[in-house]
Amino acid sequence: MGKILRVNMTDLTAKYEDVPEKYAMWGGRGFTSAVTFNEVLPTCHPLGPLNKLVIAPGWVSGTAAPTSGRTSFGGKSPLTGTIKESNAGGLASQKIARLGLKGIIVEGLPKEPGKWWTLKITKDGATFLPADDIAGKGMYEVCKILGEKHGKVAIIGIGPAGEMKLTNAGICVNDTENTAGRYAGRGGLGAVMGSKGLKAIVIDDTGGPGVPIANKELFDQGRKKMADSSRQHAITKKDGALNAYGTAVLVNILNEAGGFPTRNFTSGRFELAAQISGEAINAGVKERGGEGRVGHPCHPGCIIQCSNIWPKPDGSFHVSVQEYESVWALGADCGIGNLDDTGDLIWLCNDIGLDTIEAGNTIAIAMEGGLLQFGDAAGAKKLLAEVRTGSPLGRIIGNGGAFTARALGVTRVPAVKGQCMPAYEPRAVKGIGIVYATSTMGADHTSGYTIAPELLSVGGKVDPFAVSKADLARAFLATTAFLDASGYCLFNAFHILDIPSGMEGMVESAAGVLGTNWKVEDITKIGMEILKMERAFNEAAGFTKADDRLPDFMTYEKLPPHNTVFDVPEAELDKVYG
Amino acid sequence: MTMDVCLYGSLAQYGGEAAQSFYAQLSPTVPPGTTMRDLLASLGIPLEEKGITFLNAVLTDMPGLHADLDLVLQDGDHIGLFSRTYMWPYQYRFGAKISPELEKALKQRQGGGLHHSYAAGK
Repeated sequence: MGKILRVNMTDLTAKYEDVPEKYAMWGGRGFTSAVTFNEVLPTCHPLGPLNKLVIAPGWVSGTAAPTSGRTSFGGKSPLTGTIKESNAGGLASQKIARLGLKGIIVEGLPKEPGKWWTLKITKDGATFLPADDIAGKGMYEVCKILGEKHGKVAIIGIGPAGEMKLTNAGICVNDTENTAGRYAGRGGLGAVMGSKGLKAIVIDDTGGPGVPIANKELFDQGRKKMADSSRQHAITKKDGALNAYGTAVLVNILNEAGGFPTRNFTSGRFELAAQISGEAINAGVKERGGEGRVGHPCHPGCIIQCSNIWPKPDGSFHVSVQEYESVWALGADCGIGNLDDTGDLIWLCNDIGLDTIEAGNTIAIAMEGGLLQFGDAAGAKKLLAEVRTGSPLGRIIGNGGAFTARALGVTRVPAVKGQCMPAYEPRAVKGIGIVYATSTMGADHTSGYTIAPELLSVGGKVDPFAVSKADLARAFLATTAFLDASGYCLFNAFHILDIPSGMEGMVESAAGVLGTNWKVEDITKIGMEILKMERAFNEAAGFTKADDRLPDFMTYEKLPPHNTVFDVPEAELDKVYG
Repeated sequence: MTMDVCLYGSLAQYGGEAAQSFYAQLSPTVPPGTTMRDLLASLGIPLEEKGITFLNAVLTDMPGLHADLDLVLQDGDHIGLFSRTYMWPYQYRFGAKISPELEKALKQRQGGGLHHSYAAGK
């Protein structure tokens, strides 16, 4: 069943515990939310001694299940004040799982402020190493130094933003090339890690016991169904939409739909969208060659491979990854339409340790506030680089969009519960607005990603046009919570939604690991249990239905080209959990 | 009358001189009464290559449905044409504007359009 590693940063101890009953069935987001719900005081200061950083691989991470290398990070968010789970690809999840660990819980504040530590975890135990060699450094250099020192290990770390406890600090996980390409970016959990004096975690799974699998036959049946489903679906198969164009395949689609937020959410269409699209990335990679790559896996065992490596004009490595949310946030939302510019900005976020979605929104808000002009790529780079210096302006920017808007007197703040929106305009795509408003995490596009099988085409009876949007949103939120607990990448949602055996495979492989009898009909119920813990935490932290709202400007400012407002009634929003 | 047409992905090859390798924007002149079908024919785009389609930011077609071929175009219309490989996952389009013709076509399908893939035969 595995163990929990409980790390105390005050007395620098790490001890292995048996997994208590209340956490036994959980993995990934289920585990991080269960621990946060049970062990963290909801009203605590997120950067104080009472908050915890919880790290967990999913149920099937570290096994032979395909595309399942997500690591969940959780705790109370310093950005939103809500419970938070943010997950990333990269190398960490599989190695943590193969060491027989169900999760890592980091507690306490350091006795010596300013002293940084690297936690190294191997099959023989956990040790605390002084992190003087990497303190203050950006994540690209951190990965390089730790890689040279410890060999082929997984690295979890924070950049200068996390060290400064800025609320837009993310947590980095190294990728297959040992660069700083993967982030659990959302919600400022990098600041929580920073508050604990923990600069990095190094995980070496050599000789680890592996993941215990209770029912091997069921597991194997499930993982094969998942792999077959993934390989045959138009979106997830080799040379399919994601493999060829990456997630930025959506740039031109959303732009044509008038739902591509532009220049701080003042338009749904960006005239230079095509230049930062997945097609442009694909063409640029092919033209420049060298180290450039599309169809790149962010972790071993990924068979979708939606990532890419963007090359410089001479073919050398520039950045990984130019993905949809990042090219939108640091591109269109700032009026910037050039992939080399978005590449520079993404690199800066990755190195300094910032979430790209929040950082792009923040720059756009600074542009609206008059600090620089929309489209000023050089100014945007300078502003992000300022975060590294720790100057007062840098600290304002590093605290995210809502904080910067307050500093500059900007009222068009596209945030819910203090977290800025991703790249889908709620005034053009109303359903995503309901998800943004009612997610337990603040405005988040990954909260409502797939849908319960009972709402699918069984018997062909379901008419989504006849189902209330609130019912649909709830089904999305709950099924996605299940998927986030599994360790499977969210993009499996595309094929399992269309191929019933894929959905069965997800449930069977998870049930095989855990030894449960779950069926696809149980997905919603299990997902709702996660949501209930998260909602209960948020309520105890002081959140009410008044927080489940979009920013008011979206209800009165008409968005071109449709010239519509967000008009889903508040009563409908309240019905999601009603 | 003059149209504003954007061709994406492999459809860019039908963009003539305006084509980049992955994208083309052109302004063809067509007679009044031109339909979507006529426009495709004038550009030389085979119907089976047509995927997700937008008319003035309203979704009018998904791959394989051909729900918009009889739409009559107006002067100045903006049309976005995508090849068959493109996706627009349901979670990012539920609540978006779609044409009545496409809504009708989706309602006739199993699942009513909740699915991600619209490959022929599904």
